[in-house]
Formats: sequence, C-alpha cells, structure tokens
Amino acid sequence: MTSLFYRSRPPQTLAGKLLRIYWLLPILAVVIAAVGVAALYSTAGGRFEPWAAKHAMRAALGVTLMLGVGLMPLRFWMRIANPFYLLVLAMLVAVPLIGQSQLGARRWLGVGEASLQPAELMKIALVVALAHYYQWLPRDKVSHPLWLLTPLAMIAAPAALVLKQPDLGTAILIVATGLTLLFLAGVRPFYFISGAIASGGFGHLVWPHLKDYQRRRLLTFLDPDSDPLGAGYHIAQSKIALGSGGVHGRGFLGGTQSQLNFLPEKHTDFIFTMFAEETGFVGALGLIALYAVLICALLVIANRARTPFARLVAAGVAAMFALHVSVNIGMVTGLVPVVGVPLPLISYGGTSMLTLMFGLGMVLSASAHRDDRISIGKTRAFW
Amino acid sequence: MPETVLPNPDVPDYFSRRAFVLGAIQLGIFGAIGARLYHLQVTEGNRYALLADENRISVEVLAPQRGRILDRDGNVLAANSEGFRAVVVPSIARNLRLVLQRFQRIEPLSFDDIERVVQRARRQSPHIAIVLAQDLSWERLAEINLNAPVLPGVRTEPAGKRQYFFGPAMGHVLGYIGAVERRAMNDKPVLRLPGMRVGRAGVERGLEDELRGKAGSVTTEVDARGRVVRIIDQLDPRPGRDVTLTIDTDLQSRIMGRLDGFRRASTVVIGVRSGDVLAMVSTPGFDPNAVASAADAADWAKLQNAADDPLNNRAVRGLYPPGSTFKMVTALAALDGGKVDTKERLPCDGTFEYYGQRYRCWRRSGHESCDLHKALRESCDCYFYELARRVGIEAMASMARKLGLGVLHNAGITEAKAGLIPDHDWKRGRFGRGWLGGETILAGIGQGYVLATPLQLAVMTARLASGLEITPSLIQRGGADRVLPLAVTAAALAAVRRGMTAVVNEDGGTGARAQGEAGGYLMAGKTGTSQVHSMSRDSVQADIPWPRRDHALFVGYAPVSAPRYALATVVEHGGGGGAVAAPVSRAIMDMVMERDPLRDTTARRALQTGAQPLASPAPTRAGSDG
Repeated sequence: MTSLFYRSRPPQTLAGKLLRIYWLLPILAVVIAAVGVAALYSTAGGRFEPWAAKHAMRAALGVTLMLGVGLMPLRFWMRIANPFYLLVLAMLVAVPLIGQSQLGARRWLGVGEASLQPAELMKIALVVALAHYYQWLPRDKVSHPLWLLTPLAMIAAPAALVLKQPDLGTAILIVATGLTLLFLAGVRPFYFISGAIASGGFGHLVWPHLKDYQRRRLLTFLDPDSDPLGAGYHIAQSKIALGSGGVHGRGFLGGTQSQLNFLPEKHTDFIFTMFAEETGFVGALGLIALYAVLICALLVIANRARTPFARLVAAGVAAMFALHVSVNIGMVTGLVPVVGVPLPLISYGGTSMLTLMFGLGMVLSASAHRDDRISIGKTRAFW
Repeated sequence: MPETVLPNPDVPDYFSRRAFVLGAIQLGIFGAIGARLYHLQVTEGNRYALLADENRISVEVLAPQRGRILDRDGNVLAANSEGFRAVVVPSIARNLRLVLQRFQRIEPLSFDDIERVVQRARRQSPHIAIVLAQDLSWERLAEINLNAPVLPGVRTEPAGKRQYFFGPAMGHVLGYIGAVERRAMNDKPVLRLPGMRVGRAGVERGLEDELRGKAGSVTTEVDARGRVVRIIDQLDPRPGRDVTLTIDTDLQSRIMGRLDGFRRASTVVIGVRSGDVLAMVSTPGFDPNAVASAADAADWAKLQNAADDPLNNRAVRGLYPPGSTFKMVTALAALDGGKVDTKERLPCDGTFEYYGQRYRCWRRSGHESCDLHKALRESCDCYFYELARRVGIEAMASMARKLGLGVLHNAGITEAKAGLIPDHDWKRGRFGRGWLGGETILAGIGQGYVLATPLQLAVMTARLASGLEITPSLIQRGGADRVLPLAVTAAALAAVRRGMTAVVNEDGGTGARAQGEAGGYLMAGKTGTSQVHSMSRDSVQADIPWPRRDHALFVGYAPVSAPRYALATVVEHGGGGGAVAAPVSRAIMDMVMERDPLRDTTARRALQTGAQPLASPAPTRAGSDG
C-alpha cells in the first residue's frame, strides 16, 4: 500500500454530504440544549436574562460548529489531533501564569473579550489525541507496557495541571475519559484491574493513618470549594428540592426551592435539581432518556466506523457524555461527593458547550466519512 | 486501489465487545440514578415536599432599639436618631446587579458599594438582608418606596443612627459602637443582623448587655416568590435599657476645656463616699460621632493613627509610675505595721544608701531630718526609702491593693487596665528571678515597677479621704451598697491626711500651688513627679525634649474638714507635679466645689470652727518634688 489518503468514492457535493450526516445527533443536541434554555429561563425567575438568552445563542453557535466540523473530512481532524492537544496543554500551563481567577480558582484564559476554560477543551483534545495514537500504534503493541507509557503521560499531564488549578471534577473526568479510551483501544484488562487494586490498596493503607485535619486538608486541596458544612447543606437542600418535585413536578417556573435560592450554583452544577423539581420524576427520567439515546447513538456510530480513530473518537465522546451526566446527577442526588461537573449542554457555560458540540461534530464527521480510508505516514500499513 | 466497504475489515472485533461492556455499565449507572430519583421523588416525595414547605417558613430576627445613655442630671448623652436605611434581600431580588443598577438611579452607590453587596450576597444566606444605603433623606425614602415594584427585594426600614451629643468631652466615657467582630458573630443570631452595631469602647461596650436589649423575631410564610403570605408569629424586640451615668456633663466639659492646653493629660473626679465618677477626662479627646460615621477603613485608620492617640482613654488605660503620690501607701503600710510612728525623725542628707547603692532625694541638699508630717509635706524621698526598707515590698503591695491600686475596677469601662503593684510572686512569674531589696526602695516612692491609672489614683485618694473601701462607678447605682471601712487604723489615716493637708496649705508644701486664689475651702493633696528618663532629675525640665520630660501628677481631695470629692490628675510629660499638676487640679476642684450643693454650709462651718484658709501668696517657685 502506497497511498496515504484516499477516498472510497469521488469528492462529494455539499448536498451529498448533508445527506450523509447522521441527523439524529444534531437533533438530540438541539433538544437537550433547548431543555437547558428552558431550565435557565426558569432559574432566572422567568427571564431570559442573564443566562437563557446567552445559552440559546451559544447552542445555536455550537450546532453550527458541530455541523461545520462534521462536514470536514475526518483525516483533517486526525492530522490536527496532536497539534491541538499540545496547544490546549500549553494553554493549561499558561492558565496559572496569566489566567483569570474566579471564586478562588484560576481556570480561565482571556482571549480578547471572551474567556476560555482550557480544562474543558482538554477533555475533547485528549480524546482526539489518544484516538490518533491508537490509530498509529500497531495492534500488537497496544498492551505492551512501554507503549502504555505515552498515553498514560498524555492523560496524567493535563490531569495534574487541572488538579492544580484546582478543579477536581474536571481532573477526574479527564482521567476517566482517558482510561475509558485505553480500555476501548484494547489495553489488557489486567492493567485496569491491577491498577484499581493498587490505588485502592494504597488509599486504604494511607487514609486511616491520616489525622483528621490532614484528611480535611487533603480534601480541601483537592477541591477548595468543598466546605464540609456548606457542601452538606447544599446536598441536603438539593435533595429536598428534588424530592419535593414528586412524580409530576411543581410545574415550569414553579420550583419553590430552587426559585428561593436555597440552592447554590443553580445555573451551573445544580441545574438538574431545579429541572427535576419543576418537572418531577417524569421530566428527570425523560432527560436521562434523552442522554441515553444520545450516548447509544454515539456508540452505534462507533461500532459502524471502520478505523480505530473514528471508533475511538465516537466512543470517547460517548464516554464524555456518560461520565458528565452520571457524575453530575449522582452529585446532586447525593450519590457521589460534590465535585464541580456540569450537566452537558444544559449547565450554563460557554467552553463546556463549545467542547461538547465540537466533540459531537467530530463524531458526525466520523459517521459521514466512515467509509473513508485514512492512514498515518508511510510506516503504517494497518490494512 | 480497491474500495473497501467490507464490514469492519481492519478493526479488531474486541472493540465491539468492550464498547458493549461499557454501554452496559453505563446503562447500569443510569439505572441506579433512575432508582435514586425514584426513591427521592416518588417514595420519599411527600416527606421532602414537607421539608420543602418548612423551607418556605422564614424566621427573621428583629433588632432591638439600643438604650440611651443619660448623665446624672438626666441629660441625654447618647441616643438613636430617627433614620431610615435601604436594604436588599438577594433571594427576592433574584438579579441582584440589575436591581442595584436601578437602585443607583435613586440613590447613588459607589462601585465599591456594589461590589461589597454582591460579594456579601455570595457569601451569606440569600435571605439575609444587606444594607444598601444609610441615612436616607425623606425624598429618597419616598422615591424608593414609590419604585418598589421595579426594585424587588429592596425595602426600607427604620434604622436609628447612634448620636452623641457632647462630642469630644464625652468621647472616652461613652465610647462608640461599631460593626460586630467576625468571631463574635456566632454568639447570637441578633449579632448577624445587617448593620448591627455593638459597643466597641467606653460605656457603650461596658454596658453592652443592658443597652442592647433583646432581639425579637417574626416568623412568616413566604410564597414561591419570596413574598410574605402571612405572619405566623411575631415576638417584638425588647428595647435596651436606658443607662444613667454618674457623670456631670457640664463639669466634664469644663474640665475638658481646662485640660485642652496639655498635649496628653487626664483627670478623674470621684465622690469619696459614693465612688461615683463625676468626671473622667482624657485629652486629646475624640468625637464619637466621627467614629460612628467612620464608614471606611481609611477614616478609621486616620483616627487610630492620629497624633497623641486620641482614642486612648488615658484615665483608665494610661499606666504611669505614681511617683510621690504613692508615698501615702508607704506611710500607711509603715504606720499600720508599727514600723514607724508619727514622731520619729529620720535624717536626710540628699542621699540614701542601701547595700552600697545610693538613692537620691529629689532635693539634692537634703531635708536635714523629717518626721512623717514634714516628709509628706516636702515629699522627702530619703524618709520613704527608709520606710520602704523597714516595711518590705509585700506589706507595701498589700496596702496598695487595699487602697485600690493594682486592682481592676469595673467602673463601667471594660477596657480599663489594672496597673501594676509588684511583689515577690509577680517578679518571679514575670522574670523568673527573685525580688531585689533595691526594688523595694524604689517602689517606696512609687517608681520602679509600680504603675497606676488615674482612675486608680483617684480611688486611692477617695479611700484615704473617706476611710471607706469605695469602688468607683460611672453608672448610677440604685441602692446604696454597704461600703466597708478601710482596714487601716484611724490614727494612721488621720496622720496621713494631716500630711496631705500640709502639702497644699503649709509653707514649704510641694502642693502650695493647689491652694488656689479664690479660697473658700481647704484642699488636701499630694504631688508626684514620676521619672520617665533618668537624666531628668538633674535637668531643667523645659530644656528636655518633650517625650523625656517627667510626668506631672497630683492627687487631692476637698474639703479637708468633710471630704466629699477626690481627684487625680496626670499631665504626661508635664514636668513637675507641684508646678503643673497642682494648679490645674485646684482649678478643677474649684469647678467641682462650685457645683457642690453643700458648699455654702461647708464654708460657713469652716469659718465657724476657725479653720481659716491659709491665705499665703503663691510661691514664686513652687518646689518640684520627687
């Protein structure tokens, strides 16, 4: 095989490409984002200001971006995978040096008028870079310890930087997404099992020997927003609000708990509480079902794709969504500790929206160009 | 190139398997979340709905009105002005910045103000009101209430501002109120109220509990919009009690005017049998209204760093070596302990030797020899060195405490200091070393470690004059407490009083300048010049830089025949007690006596008993004493 890139069919027309778009994805994204707009509208007490209008605008921009990304050939995204990852990594390094701090944590990078959270961007950059790595790596080397070092470093470096910001939630998500990709790429389960046992054992050995204040300090270091009392209060309030929604909810704009500001961060991390109070169990399950359909669709695309890159990108984005949704809802229902993780496409936040839409766009591209053959360099003769 | 449309020819099939595993795990997690939601919303839904309803019942703390402060004649010294302020409740305002923007069109807010409100709203419960503006004018008040519909969460409420009516003259006595300290906030919910003020100094602080009153509360049900639906329960706040002081405002103001010429000085005037503090003056003074309105840190820092520390109430916080005013203590300790009698004469050639160490008398030529009367009158140091040697520090310290030195007096001002009467235990505890004999000698003339506040010196003088163990008070006491007689023999007290009378009224007395020109009553007293810097003894005071000059002290009581008032005056770095403190003290005592209801009868009685005022011309150079 000498050809580097070649298409399965002659260059497509735009119309042809649009036909090949997997329309379920943008439709689901728009529906979920619309739920977000409604929730933010209610959070602001029935006003588009200050969140809902901006969220709608960002969603529209995001869907456009998603379609744009989806129309670009997948090999283009593969080619920029590594530079993109390195750029975001550099931004992460720059954050503590020139970043803006909000609520005590430096997470933002100013770009003119807009500001950007490189940690959010890293989630998708890591997916693409890892997918690129396993596209390049011969199959028989995937589980070789030496070839495992690079992807582990690719996960650890941004995770450590994000943890230092400090932003425990995003760091956890980056590690979890990365490890999911490693698993999907075919790394032997032995590594995961022994890794889990080793870290669990280490924690078990060390934790009981820590003094109370050391534990608290450790926890505070990991997540400075966590205030044992405050977090407990917020979770209690969140559960009251959720529970009082009952089966059918209090109705749109009717959530007394969320409306009365018993909740913190109700436009970002705790927005699900507010939504579930107003729409009840039915609405909450409906929203989760929407996410489930979206994740399934992503996995279907992954399964149908022909190249490791396409598969891993699609599955990685699916993992991103799944992790976000699980951790966020688990957090507001009191199943997992409070770590700042947004609810995808619903929580207010520009960078998160951009990142997720970008990821979905890449999956669209993988879907639309699933028959394209791609390869990396001359040395690779994968098929 | 062949077209490959084969189903997944080039990717390993384990991918599908693993993706399936992950999908299943994900499904399981979603299932768990669904189950959790079912538990919260369906199974426990009713319970949480009930809890949520409780969340809708809000309890608001109502601040009590602070009590007023009156002087002994019922004049109001501190009261609350009628006033209104605007507050905002963030939970009702929702969009706080928007509301603030609108509010700004009515009452201008600085950028800092807005940031302060926004930051506070972030930190505390959204139901706690935040103060937007104080002292609203009537027009502003009306305008805000008129615009209430577009200003959700903003409301106006009566907010009395503390007003002090006699400015700097009463500043130190009254103190001031200020914001609650952060660490005190957890004590009581009322302290967390927005704009809550508590006493931070003076009587405002000392009588905080009486003045504050008890907080009330109102329990309301609020609707989904946070509006009050109905009042469930209301408990009115109990206003703080009015407090009546023993201070004579007019006297206080006049003394303030008299002391204003000195950079730092203080005087306490006290009733010898009641312990009532009639005047307590410390210069420079400060205007408590200025402190109360010192809104920002810069104003406050300016007050705190002002020259001569005007916020410091020297009358209760100034610690001075009492110098020769301490000699009564030494004398009483010696007389009471039988170490000396009134007749014994002790030599003075200008120096006193003790274990090879020479201690000088203030008069370098010496006093030849002194008995107690002459020693007090002319303040002979050698005599008291010898008495101190005989008595020892423990007996001296115990006598000093009997007279109220080294003891913290709760006169109504909690920031008062206890002074210092040294003894063996103190020295060992403080320095880890034993007491030295030479330190006793110095303590005998009120130098060395001995420190006292003007209030303590006034208490000492009052106890000497009345022979009663009176305690000072700035607050009118209801019933007359039983005051114990001082545990000192009457003869010893009488001898010391005679000596104090001689200090002012006999030739050669160091306090001759306290005789006064007006006359009409006799005053007894004792001068004191306490060393700040060792070289001052040999130098002309006027030539020494101010911070190194001696402190000038005078303690005295009047009238001699039937003592009713005692005072203590300290002029920091004033020079000699006889030259500086004595004449001022006489002037102050004249003011006191002028207002004395018994004055005329006393003067008559004094004339009847033939104890005429000794009308001697003021000496050209009153002796400055040790």
